[in-house]
Amino acid sequence: MNRKIFFLAATTALAALTFGTSVAEAAGVLTIGRREDSSTFDPIATAQNIDFWVFANVYDVLVRVDKTGTKLEPGLAESWTVSPDNLTYTFKMRDAKFSDGSPITSEDAKYSLTRIRDDKLSLWSDSYKIVADMATPDAQTLVVKLKSPSAPFLSTLAMPGASIISKKGMETMGEEAYAQKPIASGAFMVKDWIRGDRVILEKNPNFWQADRVKLDGVEWISIPDDNTRMLDVQAGQIDAAIFVPFSRVQQLEADPNLNVLLEPSTREDSLLINHSHGDLGKQKVREAIDDATDKKAIVDAVTFGIGTVANSYIPKGALYYNADNAVRPYDPEKAKTLLKEAGVSNLTLTYLAQAGDEVDEQVGVLLQQQFAKAGITLNIRKVDPSQQWGMLVDGDYDVAKAYWTNDILDPDQKTTFVLGNDSNMNYMTRYNNPAVTKLVAKARVEMDPKKRETMYVELQKQAKADVNWVDLYYSPYINVARKNVKDFFQNPLGRFFLEDTDKE
Amino acid sequence: MHRYRFVFYRPLQLLPVLVGISIITFVLVHSIPGDPARILLGTRATPEALANIRAQFGLDEPIWVQYFDFVKNLFHGEMGRSILYKVDVIGLILGRLEPTLVLVFGSVILSLIITIPLATLAAGHRGGAIDHAVRMISTGGLGMPAFWLGIMLIILFSVKLGLFPVSGYGQSVADKLHHMVLPCLTIALSLSAVLTRSLRASLLAEMESDAAMAARARGLPEHIVFRRHVLPNSLIPTLNLLAVNIGWLISGTVVVESVFAIPGMGQLLIRAIFTRDYMVVQGVAMLFALASVLTNFLADILTVVLDPRVTL
Repeated sequence: MNRKIFFLAATTALAALTFGTSVAEAAGVLTIGRREDSSTFDPIATAQNIDFWVFANVYDVLVRVDKTGTKLEPGLAESWTVSPDNLTYTFKMRDAKFSDGSPITSEDAKYSLTRIRDDKLSLWSDSYKIVADMATPDAQTLVVKLKSPSAPFLSTLAMPGASIISKKGMETMGEEAYAQKPIASGAFMVKDWIRGDRVILEKNPNFWQADRVKLDGVEWISIPDDNTRMLDVQAGQIDAAIFVPFSRVQQLEADPNLNVLLEPSTREDSLLINHSHGDLGKQKVREAIDDATDKKAIVDAVTFGIGTVANSYIPKGALYYNADNAVRPYDPEKAKTLLKEAGVSNLTLTYLAQAGDEVDEQVGVLLQQQFAKAGITLNIRKVDPSQQWGMLVDGDYDVAKAYWTNDILDPDQKTTFVLGNDSNMNYMTRYNNPAVTKLVAKARVEMDPKKRETMYVELQKQAKADVNWVDLYYSPYINVARKNVKDFFQNPLGRFFLEDTDKE
Repeated sequence: MHRYRFVFYRPLQLLPVLVGISIITFVLVHSIPGDPARILLGTRATPEALANIRAQFGLDEPIWVQYFDFVKNLFHGEMGRSILYKVDVIGLILGRLEPTLVLVFGSVILSLIITIPLATLAAGHRGGAIDHAVRMISTGGLGMPAFWLGIMLIILFSVKLGLFPVSGYGQSVADKLHHMVLPCLTIALSLSAVLTRSLRASLLAEMESDAAMAARARGLPEHIVFRRHVLPNSLIPTLNLLAVNIGWLISGTVVVESVFAIPGMGQLLIRAIFTRDYMVVQGVAMLFALASVLTNFLADILTVVLDPRVTL
């Protein structure tokens, strides 16, 4: 008898576990799987996309970037005027409220921008040092005075780091509490954040565009394993997933329940060359390396044909991108000749790869074979990702693959980093062409778009001629969503327009 | 009663062990190349911003000062602040404790549920087809890596059959248990492979023991002999093996938590290692070490309770 009761109980328990709790999420809640969980909600304290991509839906900014990622549009600032000397910007702010119902004023905007410029937590101080002074003549007007004219200034206001936070909220709650559960100025507010697991957002009824928001809420769920994340969408456990590996695209496209979304991005992968290492300082040697690199073969093998060969350091489709920039075709014989002309024989290089990064290692192996045909020996050295970073900064490498995604639509940010010769040694390449450096500074303060474009085209050509690095490939953001999800979209700067997304 | 005296003085011996662990953890963590400030700031790092972060978290202090601060904090019941999350490490760890505990205990229970019948069957049919089959299964279990086995279980039970969730942890108690079945099974399958072999061997030894013989001589039926004499005595070495394997079990949770996206300590540890979040790595490592030491201590107590002959 006892045994029977035990058996019965056990079966019931098992049945309950198996069928009892397959909860369907609330109809209007969109669940999105991603690789990592957020690290903070303090907009100034992070430089990671994983945080920025959620900020864009929790906070609004003065000026937004549109869906194409090439134009600015009004955000919390309804309109703005610029003084003739390009030093004074006057923003007229719209009538909007924070999630706690309090009005968003010019005082909050001033506080947010002062914070990103001056606070010791800020990782972005440098980009906002250009701001000399701010004034708030009334609650809807913000006057910003710059130290010198700056063409990219408006676009830096659209960066998620410059999100508008509540001054009163931050002062009463304190930094730590605000970073955990902030007062929102955007489409959604943080309902709960289970660290390491998920960020639970719900619609912000006080958002000035609340009519536009269709979803009741969004959950960003951390699912680190690529396979598991894809299986979660396939099984219908979640509605969408981001960071789809190249290798999975074809298989997911065959699934009738799913839409695979390839969104143009500003990501460019490039091969860094350390100009300070011996022969790599010679232009001809770097040109030989570019000639010896079969970009097409790398795109085909690594991105499964999804990416495209890069011809410029400015991403395809981005502002001032020069479509006519030349690509050096794969020509190992020409590389050999160039090396001979440079008086270099038996060139041996080390490729510094991130251990565990499949794509990085794959590119290394391909380059090894391609370089061999040009008589260049390439050794692959794998190190831990964070160690690789330190070695790149210290100049302890010959070549390495790196990538960049733009944070602002203006090309100045990346150009300064890659060619402007600032404290980062031109993305650790130690490339140094004084004429280029000068032109980067000039382009930053040129306010005429036509003239500015000419300058950036010139910069792209010159960088290619100097082989500051080898442009490898552009690749899209790859996301996947179930068929019932509508308008799940990410712009080239990475912003998700969840205020337009709907679930049927 | 002096058999139980070790319960009082053994914890005192554990203290130096823990101090040793704290030093080793600290030295290991700090000697991995890589700089947390640089990882946090990414490609946009400027020298001033780097110095700023290092100063905030005391990373610019000499290493022995940092160790001293770490120990001082421990005595105050603190473990410092996470560089990545910018919150107290203790709170961070406590928030992640439950899923890992459920995973560990669930796997142990599940592995015993698998082990005991399998080992009994094998021992009962020594040398027969069933015995060989069980041995094949356990060798197979040892050969399958957890990350692969986990994905296979997901594909079969979640995607194809739709019986269990693919990943995550859930909200209510029932929901949580439902989520934890496959992760626990993943660990239990490989753990029971080890345990089955050990239990089978001790069952065989105990079946031939004097106690078992005497019981049979008294005319007790074989199943009573087995339940009263053979099984309890055979479980002792298996329990000890389980305790020794606790370290292995914990490292197993690290992999399984990643595969099943369980927000536990294993995942916390992995991300902390990659981002060189020193305080978090130290905190988690200390806790894992403590768990391992305590488990062995408990296994000792259990052994003494189960076997009157043992003194420690």
